[in-house]
Amino acid sequence: MDFTLKIWRQANAKAKGKFETYKITGISPDCSFLEMLDILNEQLINDNIAHPVVFDNDCREGICGMCGLYINGRPHGPDDGVTTCQLHMRKFHDGETITIEPWRAKAFPVIKDLVVDRSAFDKIIQEGGYISATTGGVPDANAIPIPKPKADEAMDAASCIGCGACVAACKNASAMLFVGAKVSQFALLPQGQPEAKRRVVRMIKKMDELGFGNCTNTYACEAECPKSIKKTNIARMNREFICSKTSYTDK
Amino acid sequence: MKLIKLASISKKLCMGALGAFLLIFLPFHMGMNLCILRDDGGEWYRNVCHFMGTNYIVKVFEVVLLACVLFHIVLGIILAIENKMSRPVGYAVANKSKTHQGSKFMIWTGGILLVFLVIHFVDFYFAKTGLVTGKYVVKTEKVEKAFQEKAMKMQQGQLKEADLKELQAQYMAIQSLSGEKVAKNGKYFINLTKEELQQTCGKDFKDYEPDFYNMAKEKFHNNLFVVIYLLAFIALGIHLYHGVGSVFQTYGLNIEKYAKTIDILAVIYAIVIPLGFAIVPLKVLLTAM
Ligand code: HEM
Ligand code: SF4
Ligand code: FES
Repeated sequence: MDFTLKIWRQANAKAKGKFETYKITGISPDCSFLEMLDILNEQLINDNIAHPVVFDNDCREGICGMCGLYINGRPHGPDDGVTTCQLHMRKFHDGETITIEPWRAKAFPVIKDLVVDRSAFDKIIQEGGYISATTGGVPDANAIPIPKPKADEAMDAASCIGCGACVAACKNASAMLFVGAKVSQFALLPQGQPEAKRRVVRMIKKMDELGFGNCTNTYACEAECPKSIKKTNIARMNREFICSKTSYTDK
Repeated sequence: MKLIKLASISKKLCMGALGAFLLIFLPFHMGMNLCILRDDGGEWYRNVCHFMGTNYIVKVFEVVLLACVLFHIVLGIILAIENKMSRPVGYAVANKSKTHQGSKFMIWTGGILLVFLVIHFVDFYFAKTGLVTGKYVVKTEKVEKAFQEKAMKMQQGQLKEADLKELQAQYMAIQSLSGEKVAKNGKYFINLTKEELQQTCGKDFKDYEPDFYNMAKEKFHNNLFVVIYLLAFIALGIHLYHGVGSVFQTYGLNIEKYAKTIDILAVIYAIVIPLGFAIVPLKVLLTAM
């Protein structure tokens, strides 16, 4: 398959970036998107055309959340429920022009080319994405009874890989799906209760400070999340927030 | 960087509460409007307007409602600006994701509604507050009473020459109106211009009300006017379709069990309300009402 690639190139955080166009030919339909970019980079280096295109990636199996690319107007490209590393070139048609951009958000500044700084997410986690653990011996598994449906729901929320596609997809660059998932995975379980009321308020405060936008219930996040995190997690976070604001007295 | 120092969710909760109040208000407004359809020469409609114009509870709600609309608009614009600021560099190819239809246009459908509200207020609400002149309705018995009081004064010799002339003119005016500008039930003089009102009742007469029935009929015989209204109702439908579901989500009530029901509710509300509003101008335009 042959493609025309329009790729955002930006030398560093301060530089003014622009799109460069590259042609690439003879790509197998079974090639993954990142492999296609590897082939492109090999050509750029070997033929001395340009510096290789820099893009984030690590596990290449859909679990680390590094490979965020905004492809033809959608985070992680045209397939549903997958990361960019799990996207295959057969999802495009031969001769297509593919536009590849970095995540765009005030809170996710570009570092180089397609790589953005997602440490804003880490800062939100530092505000409350943890539980207090007791010291002493290892507790028995299943010592605390948890209904299976609750455990499942918490597990679904916990499957968020922090990729940032929700922010990238949202017209307001809002991080509500990410924070909603992180609040929910604890709010659903007894282990998360001691900090529950403090957690939700602090994480949201941090999220706002970092410059993420306000949610307008557009649900592009849910449509683009590679882990199919549901918008009901946002509703749950709103509920937790109201509950905390009306009953939590400790500052 | 944020325009208001309030948690993003708090702002949303305010927006939702204000919106929800408007959602409750709309069916009442629609119900009143539909009274115009009854073939009674406007009797029901005038009674409703009289109630709305004089009842004190209604007056309190009117202030609350105006405040809600104002804050809803201001907050909506602030949110929209903040959200634009959250993505300083945009995408070249943007937003191909599946989203809730309507949600992307809230500020635009809201903007259309704002323009509509300005037109609507100038035409109807300003007439009520006396900022613009419209058509007026007064009770026949009140006109007669005012006339008789003056006639009484005349008999007691308290009136000057000029006042006598006015009284005569008043008498003539009442006679000529009695032929055409009386409501079906005979209780009101209707569709009076400001001059006619002053001629019949005298300059310092206060006991009149705007004749919204005839004003509406007059406005809605104008094609352009009806088209503007219908466009606004379409925008309203889109705004409401997203708004109804949005309130549930914002208040954390959108649990999976209810999601379908809420969606259906939103569709029904967003169709029934604008349709209910649209019936009135359409009926006036298309029938010889
Ligand atoms: C009859 C009039 C109106 C009604 C019944 C109404 C109702 C609503 C409702 C229920 C919402 C959803 C709130 C939420 O997200 O929880 C909403 C949102 C919104 N409204 Fe209105 N509205 C009206 C007029 C307007 C006007 C005149 C504007 C003018 C700009 C406007 C701008 C907005 C905006 C921008 C939003 C989106 C806010 C967000 O999603 O965060 N609305 N409206
Ligand atoms: S909620 Fe989904 S899209 Fe957002 S960071 Fe987590 S995995 Fe990525
Ligand atoms: S590289 Fe780890 S999820 Fe794609």
